[in-house]
Amino acid sequence: MKTVLKMGASAALCLGVLAHPAFAEDNIVKIGVVAAESGSFVSAGHTLPAGVGLAVKQINDAGGINVGGKNYKLEMVKRDDRTDIATAIAATQELVRDVKVQAIFGSETHDFTLAMAKITQPAKIIHFAGNSTLAKILTPDSVKPGGEDHYLFQSEPQEFQRSGSTARGVLTLLEPLLGYKPKKSVMIVGNDATGQFLSSYYFKALKAEGQDVPDIIFYPPDTTDFSPFLTRAKSLNPDIIHFWYNGDSTLTALPQALELGAAKSYFLFGVDPGIWKEKQLSADVPVAMSCVPVCWGESSNPKARAYFDAYFAAGAPHGVTSSVSLLYHDYVHFLAEAWEKAGSFDPDKTVEALLTLHHQGVVSDDLTFNPTHQVTHATEVCAAAPGGAISCSMQQPPAEAPKS
Amino acid sequence: MKDGLHQDRAGSTFKALRSLLPVLVILALIALVPLFSPSNRFLSLAISAGINVIALYGLSVLFGQTGILSMGHAALVGVGAYAAAILARDFGVGFWAALPAAALASAAFAMIVGIPSLRVGGHHFVIMTFAFGQLLAIVLTNGGDYTGAATGLDLAGPVTLFGADMSDLTRYYLMVVAFVTAAAVASWAIINSSYGRTLRAIRENEKLAASLGINVGRHKIGAFVVSGVFAGISGVLLAYFLGHISPSQFSSFPSIYLALMVMIGGARLIEGPLAGGILVAFLPEVLNLDPVQSRIVYGVCLIAVIMLLPDGLIGGIVRALRAVLSGKPKQETEQRNAAEARR
Repeated sequence: MKTVLKMGASAALCLGVLAHPAFAEDNIVKIGVVAAESGSFVSAGHTLPAGVGLAVKQINDAGGINVGGKNYKLEMVKRDDRTDIATAIAATQELVRDVKVQAIFGSETHDFTLAMAKITQPAKIIHFAGNSTLAKILTPDSVKPGGEDHYLFQSEPQEFQRSGSTARGVLTLLEPLLGYKPKKSVMIVGNDATGQFLSSYYFKALKAEGQDVPDIIFYPPDTTDFSPFLTRAKSLNPDIIHFWYNGDSTLTALPQALELGAAKSYFLFGVDPGIWKEKQLSADVPVAMSCVPVCWGESSNPKARAYFDAYFAAGAPHGVTSSVSLLYHDYVHFLAEAWEKAGSFDPDKTVEALLTLHHQGVVSDDLTFNPTHQVTHATEVCAAAPGGAISCSMQQPPAEAPKS
Repeated sequence: MKDGLHQDRAGSTFKALRSLLPVLVILALIALVPLFSPSNRFLSLAISAGINVIALYGLSVLFGQTGILSMGHAALVGVGAYAAAILARDFGVGFWAALPAAALASAAFAMIVGIPSLRVGGHHFVIMTFAFGQLLAIVLTNGGDYTGAATGLDLAGPVTLFGADMSDLTRYYLMVVAFVTAAAVASWAIINSSYGRTLRAIRENEKLAASLGINVGRHKIGAFVVSGVFAGISGVLLAYFLGHISPSQFSSFPSIYLALMVMIGGARLIEGPLAGGILVAFLPEVLNLDPVQSRIVYGVCLIAVIMLLPDGLIGGIVRALRAVLSGKPKQETEQRNAAEARR
């Protein structure tokens, strides 16, 4: 009997010791981030943990979140995917099964996100990704309760909306700088999953704005010599050459285009006016730029200016795609609000809350998800005049996709 | 006389079996890893490495035994992966049925890639295989809905074995280890067969082999077909593991990595592909290297292997161990190593 009591006491002691850290862990909610902090996609990749990290700090500094009457702090657990799909999958497996995160943000690479969703969705992990290409899989059937992507959310507007607002903004801002209404556009696009997907929508958006688009010129990813593509574009005598979508490639292509005099004006997708100013770029023709979703270098949105002050003060570097961080930052706050509203971390209740909430974010005062888990908001477009003056404006998305 | 011949054969079979034993022991130990409750990150990376190792065993037949270097091997893995995904999407073909079909598809593509090797050799052929890898990526990227274009294809079907769901990470790991073992045994059987000896004869002196009546062209194409079968199986395993495939996974750069792995590990030894696959998969993880640092390390390793360890890392280790343990004169050890390298 004595032995049994001793064993019982020992077991209780062990359990007590084991239970203590678990109790401490109880007040921490872990949020996973999978992003390319190294490798070829690092430019966009580093913005993701920076945006999520800032939101986590803001929430914790404000006292954390109150869910079901209990207070919780958030903890970001980030993993570098090294722009390698095997590492991204291993990181997701680790975060979901070993770290046991409540939600995952990332990755910024479309292919990786699709493969990651095969792990996060069966495990009922809330998954946010800023890839508009997710529209291919987010369907009424796939997002319904029990559907294969019920817990997956797209934190970037649908592509017809983003392309529509961008095309309208570019043409509106360039017209006064050109002194006439531009009529002919040529698109030069990176030939990868994102490039192919985006260009199909932007082409329709330009057509819907009355543009003649004689050609879409695709260049292989990692191209450094753009002269063959630019020469072909120049032969079409365009009013505007639209560079999509990789900001780093675009910045390589622009000086070559200016030297060749390939067009009367240019549009650089995903290049922030902040980079334009920091690199002291200049052009003898008008150059439009757009940001995904709001510009940090010259924003017309006062909330965004305050956000970027805090973002850079936290140590994030000034990058071509720093604004991409806003595709994640707002949704940490959104998710926290959803947990508070649901009064639980139950993933099904959280999805319900996410679909009914109207969240006040930096990008928009009224962020909502549509029934297929996609968000809607405006896009900022700016234009640099030949003299150097930059003007920006927020462009609201079209209500409907253009008829093809 | 006959008895002596039998004894010789039995002796050489025993020697050959002895060369397989270390790999089987290592693989048995690798299969025991789940008993130590490894992290899911480790298991996931190990599965990716194992899938690569299967393709590497095919590449070792081509490069190590026949002496043909291919820089388009990942494209053959891609053919297998896309075959599995398209068969599942269009015909509802599951994992096990996809294995032989994808292996055949990759073998057929490998044969097409191999045909130019009858007329072109050396660096020119390496460039051709590199171009094949790029070409396949371009075709897949521009293949519209059929190949899923640059976005690629989804593959959501379950993998079952005797009614058990193999999608669980530990089970998939064990299944991949079983496939790696099969690939190692198959590679060993080729190396120690008369076919393997013929391939080595071609590797050492193509003209001399032809003068002895060996149909060099047929055997070269045969080596491509064999390497394609390994690559196809590797592709099916990869497609079902990731659940999503895209052209960028099978372009020239992954092919360069595969060639690098087999060279670092050692293409002529049965342990080489295993060592190369594990090393390249886990080195960045263990040393916390970013992709740029990894490439520098691999580059340095490759130069070191070419200059100092022509039999690869494993060959170098075996040589060093033999020299240390036997304490025999250097010349004798070198003679033995040369004989080993000729295999």
